[in-house]
Amino acid sequence: MANHAHHDLEVKKFVAPSSLKAIAYALLAIGLITFVVGLMKNQERAWTSYLAAFFYFSSLGLGGLFFVAIHNIANSGWSVTVRRYAEGMTSFIPFILIGGLVLVAAGKTLFPWMDEAVIAGSPMVAAKTGYLNITGFVIRIILFAVGWFLFKWFIVGNSIHQDTDGRVERTLKNVGLSVGFVLFFALSYSLFSVDLLMSLLPTWYSTIFGVYTFAGLFQSSIAVLSLIIIYMKRKGFVKGYVTHDHLHDVVKYMKGFTIFWAYIAFSQFLLIWYANIPEETEYYIMRAQHGWLGVSMALIVFRFVVPFIALLPRGLKRNESHVIAVSVLVLIMQYVDIWWMIYPNFFHGHMVFGFWEVGVFALFAGLFLIGLITFFSKFSLVAVKDPRIQEAINHHVTY
Amino acid sequence: MAQQQIGGLAAIFLDEHLTVTAATRCREAGLKKFDAITPYPVHGMEEAVGIRRSILPYFTFGGGVVGLVVGLWFTIWTSAYSWPINVGGKPFNSLPAFIPVCFELTILFAALTSLAAFGYMCSLPKIDPPMIDPDLSSHKFAIFVPSDDHGYDAGKLEQMFKDLGAAEVKKVAVF
Repeated sequence: MANHAHHDLEVKKFVAPSSLKAIAYALLAIGLITFVVGLMKNQERAWTSYLAAFFYFSSLGLGGLFFVAIHNIANSGWSVTVRRYAEGMTSFIPFILIGGLVLVAAGKTLFPWMDEAVIAGSPMVAAKTGYLNITGFVIRIILFAVGWFLFKWFIVGNSIHQDTDGRVERTLKNVGLSVGFVLFFALSYSLFSVDLLMSLLPTWYSTIFGVYTFAGLFQSSIAVLSLIIIYMKRKGFVKGYVTHDHLHDVVKYMKGFTIFWAYIAFSQFLLIWYANIPEETEYYIMRAQHGWLGVSMALIVFRFVVPFIALLPRGLKRNESHVIAVSVLVLIMQYVDIWWMIYPNFFHGHMVFGFWEVGVFALFAGLFLIGLITFFSKFSLVAVKDPRIQEAINHHVTY
Repeated sequence: MAQQQIGGLAAIFLDEHLTVTAATRCREAGLKKFDAITPYPVHGMEEAVGIRRSILPYFTFGGGVVGLVVGLWFTIWTSAYSWPINVGGKPFNSLPAFIPVCFELTILFAALTSLAAFGYMCSLPKIDPPMIDPDLSSHKFAIFVPSDDHGYDAGKLEQMFKDLGAAEVKKVAVF
């Protein structure tokens, strides 16, 4: 546009500050040591911490790819300049295969349905062994992780190669691939959640469970994306390409999926509460005892009410420090949510949190950060040769 | 609302960028009441004309809060006080059961309040609005300056619009 001359467009090569690299590797080292020591000293804690952190970061990686995919499908122009950040988040996806297979070693410490005694003692669990068995579990993990990896490889690969050859066909190809990914993702992530989280209490079931974990996945992924946008802007790596208008639209997703999370969480709760069937209500009864009721209430307040109100005014969605604060809150609550889904099943239903959880979280946080740093150091921070780049540069949110 | 009898000057443009430039120039010239008429939303026009953000969202928010409170009060009053019915052994005052009603009323009140406020602010419904040019709803753009605007000078304005490349500058009698 004539009156919107963007003269100061600039993408610098990303060079990670040495402090950031040091933090990433320190987190990884601390995490590895914690996990190994934990396996020797306190197996159950080590594995529950591992599961929570693994699920947390797998979700963030997949959330990045999901963000890329829906914008490819919608042929959206505005998001082109922030797409590379989301693509960076997918660099965690290769770790899902290894991390998932390591989880099999936890065996019956984590998954009661791997325990012969539990199966023999409960006809309800025995009836589910057609799905809940180790062979099936391993096959599903491999199938999902390899599938996600392949979609990531081709979708992100096309985008990166376009930086050099600028071929429009790559954009068109990514539409079909993204449709494939979203279909695959809907089913696989649901079953992934069922295998990793819902099966911890094999007598319980909820048909909306996959949607619930997805709501958390997208809300928290957008929080990470917002933090990356603000980081790259403040450090001056990207100028002009990503404006407050882009941040505004990204944060709108965070608000939208804050509401979506509450909607799904309440939908799950309402039907179980109304029907009042023992094998369904046990899930919520466990989360209303031994101090867990406080956490359940904190989820409603800090995962829905506070972010919802904090993201309501327009000005606050464009205010960087405000967005940072809300994103950090959302990321903390995503961990609390996963912790809340896992931990009541262990330690006799008592609330447990401490050094082990933080330590093992650091392991995956380190991996995730190293993935981001490596990706951003290797590739351009903006998909500069995308055919829709002009639309993204001129993106403007009206009142 | 009573029809205001205000004449003014209208400049017709065939290019959206020229219209934005003309609007910027009008604002810089100190005009306050002028308006831009375009067949579709033009990026940057709000800033060019100097339109501030609408207060409509506050009406929506207020309506939503009222709806929420009414929903809570009405469900609790009917189910727990006025006509308590035992449903599945649940307590009379069961908040989870009321949430869908509260949610729906929040949305309904917010939507209706927005609609009413929007209609009032735009003085809708307007059956027979004055027309500057029928093509303004298809492919032409206009800047309209009412004659009671600060520093209105028909001759000067006409010259300015012509210099900017207006396709046509005409006096509009009533708007």
